[in-house]
Amino acid sequence: MEPLNIVGNRVIRVDGRAKVKGEALYPQDIYLEGMLYGKTLRSEKPHAYIQVEIEEGEKTPGVVKILTAKDVTGQNHHGVLFKDHEVLCSERVRRIGDPIAFVIATSEKAACEGLAKIKVRYTELPAVFDPVEAIAKDAPKIHGESNIIYHYRCRKGNVEEGFKNCHVIVEREYKTSMVDHAFLQPEAGVAYWDQEGNIVVCAATQYPHFDQLEVAEALGLPKEKVKIINPAVGGAFGGREDITLQIHLALGAYLTGKAVKAVYSREESFYAHAKRHPIIMRYKTGASKEGKLLAMEATLIGDTGAYASWAVNVMRKAGVHATGPYEIPNVKIDSYAVYTNNPFCGAMRGFGATQVPIASEQQMDILAQALGMDPVRFRLFNCFRVGSETANGQILHESVPLERCIEAVGQRLFHGLR
Amino acid sequence: MKKRGKGMAAAFYGTGYGNGFPDVSTAKVQMNNRGQVSVCIGATEVGQGAKTILTQIAAEVLGLEMKDIRLLCEDTDTSPDAGTAAASRQTYNSGNAVKKAAEALKNILLERAQKHLELPSAHGLAVEDRQVYLKAYPKKRVHFRELVGEEPIRVEASFVAQTTPVDEETGAGAPYWPYTFCCYGVEVEVDTETGIVEVVRGVCAQDVGRAINPELIEGQIDGGFAMGLGYGLMEDLHLVQGEIKHNRFANYLIPTALDMPELEKMIIEDPESTGPFGAKGIGEPVMIPVAPAILNAIYDAIGIRFYEIPVTPEKILAAIRKRKKEGNCGNDFER
Amino acid sequence: MVHIRLTVNGKTYGLDVEEGVRLIDVLRDQLRLTGTKEGCGEGECGACTVIMDGRTVNSCLVMAFQADGSDITTIEGIAKGGTLHPIQRAFLEVGAVQCGFCTPGMVLSAKALLDKNPEPTREEIREGISGNLCRCTGYHKIVDAIALASSYIRGGKEDGTS
Repeated sequence: MEPLNIVGNRVIRVDGRAKVKGEALYPQDIYLEGMLYGKTLRSEKPHAYIQVEIEEGEKTPGVVKILTAKDVTGQNHHGVLFKDHEVLCSERVRRIGDPIAFVIATSEKAACEGLAKIKVRYTELPAVFDPVEAIAKDAPKIHGESNIIYHYRCRKGNVEEGFKNCHVIVEREYKTSMVDHAFLQPEAGVAYWDQEGNIVVCAATQYPHFDQLEVAEALGLPKEKVKIINPAVGGAFGGREDITLQIHLALGAYLTGKAVKAVYSREESFYAHAKRHPIIMRYKTGASKEGKLLAMEATLIGDTGAYASWAVNVMRKAGVHATGPYEIPNVKIDSYAVYTNNPFCGAMRGFGATQVPIASEQQMDILAQALGMDPVRFRLFNCFRVGSETANGQILHESVPLERCIEAVGQRLFHGLR
Repeated sequence: MKKRGKGMAAAFYGTGYGNGFPDVSTAKVQMNNRGQVSVCIGATEVGQGAKTILTQIAAEVLGLEMKDIRLLCEDTDTSPDAGTAAASRQTYNSGNAVKKAAEALKNILLERAQKHLELPSAHGLAVEDRQVYLKAYPKKRVHFRELVGEEPIRVEASFVAQTTPVDEETGAGAPYWPYTFCCYGVEVEVDTETGIVEVVRGVCAQDVGRAINPELIEGQIDGGFAMGLGYGLMEDLHLVQGEIKHNRFANYLIPTALDMPELEKMIIEDPESTGPFGAKGIGEPVMIPVAPAILNAIYDAIGIRFYEIPVTPEKILAAIRKRKKEGNCGNDFER
Repeated sequence: MVHIRLTVNGKTYGLDVEEGVRLIDVLRDQLRLTGTKEGCGEGECGACTVIMDGRTVNSCLVMAFQADGSDITTIEGIAKGGTLHPIQRAFLEVGAVQCGFCTPGMVLSAKALLDKNPEPTREEIREGISGNLCRCTGYHKIVDAIALASSYIRGGKEDGTS
């Protein structure tokens, strides 16, 4: 490797000094003169038609305006892949926590009081919470004709033949839970008009340029009229990929002419952003007597809840990584993303590739035990190396130091290769 | 009784959006006549260290110190689109964009230096200490300020990652590049009276391509380990009819300082030719092997395999009770 | 409205506060000391930790009137002018900071710990920060930083210079 001066060093992080002094500015730390406060009214029902009455709310002292779907000046939608979220729900809610109205008031207290006076009449619809039930033909539909959003298929070799040659075959079903990013900084933001007549949104986001497009489209403005400022971000882990309060704030500032700020409570944060997809994983894996993996079949069913977010990409990534880092000549993988009325799921650290090893790596240990092989050796025997081909037929032609990683753990933890 | 067990898990992770989707990062680099450099790139600092890594890359290319470079990522007006701070892609993608832009700027400096120093060629010119000099005859040198006029030098460069869509019927293709590899092992202690699983030791061998900043990599491994530990043993939103029952930190438990074991962290380097200085993304891979390694270790400790996470103390106790009742020998394969 | 007197980072304030206002609201909204962070609002995460009369408190759980007459140290009062406190310096040096949102609370918990126990074991450090959640760092480098800060302080390098 070429000798380098700065790359490779333990350089002190450039944003560290402001952070240890408490000077780093997160969106909740921004206070503007005369700014208003926003509070979001969210659905209490998982699946229902709604009728919203805001008159009493708007009469509340201090309330400046209550935004509902009717107030959205551009397209009432957003979404990283499909525009299946509404900025504010117009007729129907699809999960508990769907945003229905955004109350803007002179103080947070007044906003809360105004919010309490909004009446929502729910006409409940049948709901589905289990992704397997959601696949059934007669299941309640969340969007459109089918709850199946995506089906990833991987077919390599011939699994039937492969399993015929196996000495051991292990078949198990695994399940992961729905979890939250739990970044420490709850969502917050401020939006305002700048002197050039642009709408500025300060909020913590993972992708400011995409937020810019989403805000512009929802407000019906050219993207040049929208500016996103991304101050310090208090952790993200995938949970700040989808829009949460950005459009509400922008719309509030756009329509009232004033700066509008909102800060979510921890509880609201849990409802506002995407979750990690829980996946049901049915695995069948077989190996020869010598310990060579010969065939693997997996069905993955991912519950994306009420909105797609990154479901297609997550369940694709789950499918691509379902074999684990091993050469298997015969592979059949089906990975599905399914709508339900649960909280919506999207990106979270590992993005589908975190869920599948709960299954694939336990399969490896179960197989090793069945074969009477050491789990370190069994992995080394099958793992990717330079030149290996993945289940997709992709050639790993360089930088594949997996053997070194496995050997290192074998030596340090298991005291040498048993 | 407290029972100990060891387990491991290996993983791979493909960086980027993948599946043929254009994965682009753009950076603008500018130098004024005082030799000050600003790097504008819309790559979010979420805490992972993007600003530091990207500054290091620019400093390395231009032979400058960290303090000479100002990295701006916070404003869509000033910083070009660098894609999302996700998919472990900022070091790889945006790192490449910054490197390309900084190299383009350096080339302009070298060309101007060649003219200024009246040399027949730019070969053998290098940068250090805000100067361009001839390596074979270091006295031949010129300060950056002589090379940059009133008008700053501005360059922009983009990096586009390689990816193909996968075939809809067979999945055939090369969806992601590069892949990052890792293997983590843990030792656990399971209290069969309380059901509490304590992770007492962790060994983490993490491929990084090439380490841009080992301190930040270790920090990612630590944090990924904690998140993986929470995923395997604690975290669940506890949904009931679509309602999140665990919606506060009082009941949605994440690891505290008392839950974390000491970790042996091994940074494995094997440079990736398309990565900036050989680097690959690691932000997500560092979490992936943790929970499955813990599950394998729990089995090693008590002979019971868990097929659902999180493996809470209640689940451990229920499984132990069930085994006692059924008189299961605990051999997983003969389940 | 209630009138309270607070000494914050050595400066005394007389403040009129509304009922129901918490100490964190006074610090952030009235005094604009926004280094104190709110992560959960119910004393579970420790991001709002401040030192009140020598002891750490979750400022989201203390009502403003309860703080009347007390002496408060926030993250803004830790450094001496431009010089970082040894704890802050150690946090920087060993990479104990990532997103930074838990950092102010962590630094104050560390200070309260080291004020009482200048040479804590790693286990005691873990105990001392167990009320402060961090989602980024896995706590290791925070523990390292506090151990390092302890050696700085005991070595008499209180001003953080070496």
